[in-house]
Amino acid sequence: MTELFAQPPALSAYLFLAALLFSIGLYGVFSRKNTIAILISVELMANAVNINLAAFARYSGDMVGQSFALFSIALTVAEVVIGLAIVILLYRSHKSIEASAPTELRG
Amino acid sequence: MLTAALFPLLLPFASFLLLALCWPIRQNGKLAGAISCAAAIGSCYGALELLNMVTTGDVGATNGFGRTFPWLVANGSTIAEVGVRVDGISATMLVVITLVAAAVQVYSLGYLSDEPDADLGRYFTWHSLFIPAMGGLVIAPNLLQAFMCWELVGLCSYLLIGYYWAKPEAGHASVKAFWVTKFADMGFLSGLCVLYVATGGFEWTASLHPTVATIIAGLIFLGVMGKSAQVPLHIWLPNAMEGPTPVSALLHAATMVAAGVFVVVRAYPLFEQAPDVLFVMTWVGGITAFVAACTAVVQDDIKKVLAYSTCSQLGYMVAALGTGSLLGGYFHLTTHAFFKALLFLGAGAAIHAVHSNSIHDMGGLIKKTPYSAFMFIVGALALAGIPGLSGFFSKDIILEEMAHGGHWGPLALLIVSAGLTAFYMTRVVVIAFLGKPSAAVEKAHGAPLTMGAPMAALTILAIAGGYAGTQLGSLWGGSLAFHWTPVGITASAVGLAGVTYGYLLYGKGVQGPALSGVREMILSGPIDRFWHATWRKGLLPTAKGIAWTDRYVIDGAVNWFGWAAIKGGEALRVIQTGRSQDYAVAVIAGVLLFVLYGAVGG
Repeated sequence: MTELFAQPPALSAYLFLAALLFSIGLYGVFSRKNTIAILISVELMANAVNINLAAFARYSGDMVGQSFALFSIALTVAEVVIGLAIVILLYRSHKSIEASAPTELRG
Repeated sequence: MLTAALFPLLLPFASFLLLALCWPIRQNGKLAGAISCAAAIGSCYGALELLNMVTTGDVGATNGFGRTFPWLVANGSTIAEVGVRVDGISATMLVVITLVAAAVQVYSLGYLSDEPDADLGRYFTWHSLFIPAMGGLVIAPNLLQAFMCWELVGLCSYLLIGYYWAKPEAGHASVKAFWVTKFADMGFLSGLCVLYVATGGFEWTASLHPTVATIIAGLIFLGVMGKSAQVPLHIWLPNAMEGPTPVSALLHAATMVAAGVFVVVRAYPLFEQAPDVLFVMTWVGGITAFVAACTAVVQDDIKKVLAYSTCSQLGYMVAALGTGSLLGGYFHLTTHAFFKALLFLGAGAAIHAVHSNSIHDMGGLIKKTPYSAFMFIVGALALAGIPGLSGFFSKDIILEEMAHGGHWGPLALLIVSAGLTAFYMTRVVVIAFLGKPSAAVEKAHGAPLTMGAPMAALTILAIAGGYAGTQLGSLWGGSLAFHWTPVGITASAVGLAGVTYGYLLYGKGVQGPALSGVREMILSGPIDRFWHATWRKGLLPTAKGIAWTDRYVIDGAVNWFGWAAIKGGEALRVIQTGRSQDYAVAVIAGVLLFVLYGAVGG
């Protein structure tokens, strides 16, 4: 086991993880009906990006990317707040938090 | 000066606005009539003042006074102007118009006194509109304003012919007048369009390429033929007699039908450049004079006789203009306005007395209504061209100048028409006013003063108008001095022969040649039947074809685009599900496509 962690993982491993997380998030956004689940999926996608930022920063030895990731996390929190507010308003107006509930824009 | 020129127009226009907008006044017919008459008389006074200013030399009689204002301004340049142009010709015409209009309106007060108040108010409203409309035509500084006012008087004509709108004949007559003159006005309008394209303006005077001048003058002359009732577009004028008699006197004898002649006089610099059109004009005038005089001979309706007589006299004027005798034609217009208005008012008095239009229902009216009968006879003699009365002088100038120009064909037609004119007027006078009284005449009553006074004024003018020739000639920048010539003597002899023959035939019971075939032929109205057939077989199918094309081809194309847009929208609306996730999929798909394009297409 120790050999396994003796060397830091290669950059590609982080990128692979980030891509996996992003894809899972994307799938969640498309497939879940519950808007809170969709929000969580969006969080996954955002964090996939954060991992990318941190990984590239470490790889290039430039810490700007890591500090950027911190910014990004803070922004994501704000985004979640707005998203949850939308969910609450959706519930008030449609008595449901399903993403398919509002259909007013159907042609 | 501008105020003086506009005053005769604005006063009746104010009366028109008052009557048109203030319905309690209009509903009170007598009050409306009083207002309208007062405005007309005031306008006549203003016109006389204006003429006085022109003659005393405040403004040059020939150069005149002009003032224009930009009207249609586009892209910084003026397309057209409106304004006034006062000179000897327009000032005289303005006096003729307002004078006859005032006489006719006062006469109408008596003639139409039995009409319901509301109808009377409507009648005077249109009369008040007519004066500024016709006046605007007369003082127009360019052809566009003239055309605009030309259409306005056409509107007044339409409305006043249809005054007895409950009578189907009156309705048909007004529509017929409108159609025929509108057909002719298409020519006028096209002429104006060509003129604008050629010169970039609507000036009375413009030098043009000979071919262009011929096209423009020909098209404008088409409009003149319609308005001034020249054969074969004269068919509306006899029907227009369905209107009240004073209307016939003002619009369809004295002023409106002379508008065509006036426009030719004004636009003569244009016509001068188109000798072919002038040649046609001379012949059209001559033929009109002859054909209409022949038709007048066989009419039994006194107004129809006068209507055909008006056509015939307008033919004289048009023929005169065609030969270049501008002043002769214009002089005849002036004298004709007075004696023909007088004749119509006299006929109106006779109709008022016996309640019938037929000359056979009259007879011996001179015993019952001596004054109006006498005045009618004066008018008839003036029309017949008896030496000493106004019609003689103006007709003489026309014939003399035609002989001078060597237009022998039209001249012969006009001389024969002079005989026919004298003949048919004698026929009317003998049957209706002399001779033995009919049953209706026994109950006849004389005309009130409101009818008599205007007739007396016109009688004086019908007698004296001819002697004003010298003064008018200098006012109009030419010479109208009278002198005896062989042609004039011949015409007078023919006229006297016509009177004598008519008196022998209808007064003394001398048997003339029967000519019943000719009579039947004229009475059957060949020109009317020709137009009717053209209308039914040519115009209606063409119009229906155009309507079909418009409805199914042009409208069809427009409607197809609308229909296609609707159907396309319906087809596309299915992709708008309204579910946010579907839109997210579309966004991601789009991003992927871009990525793919970047990766592959590079």
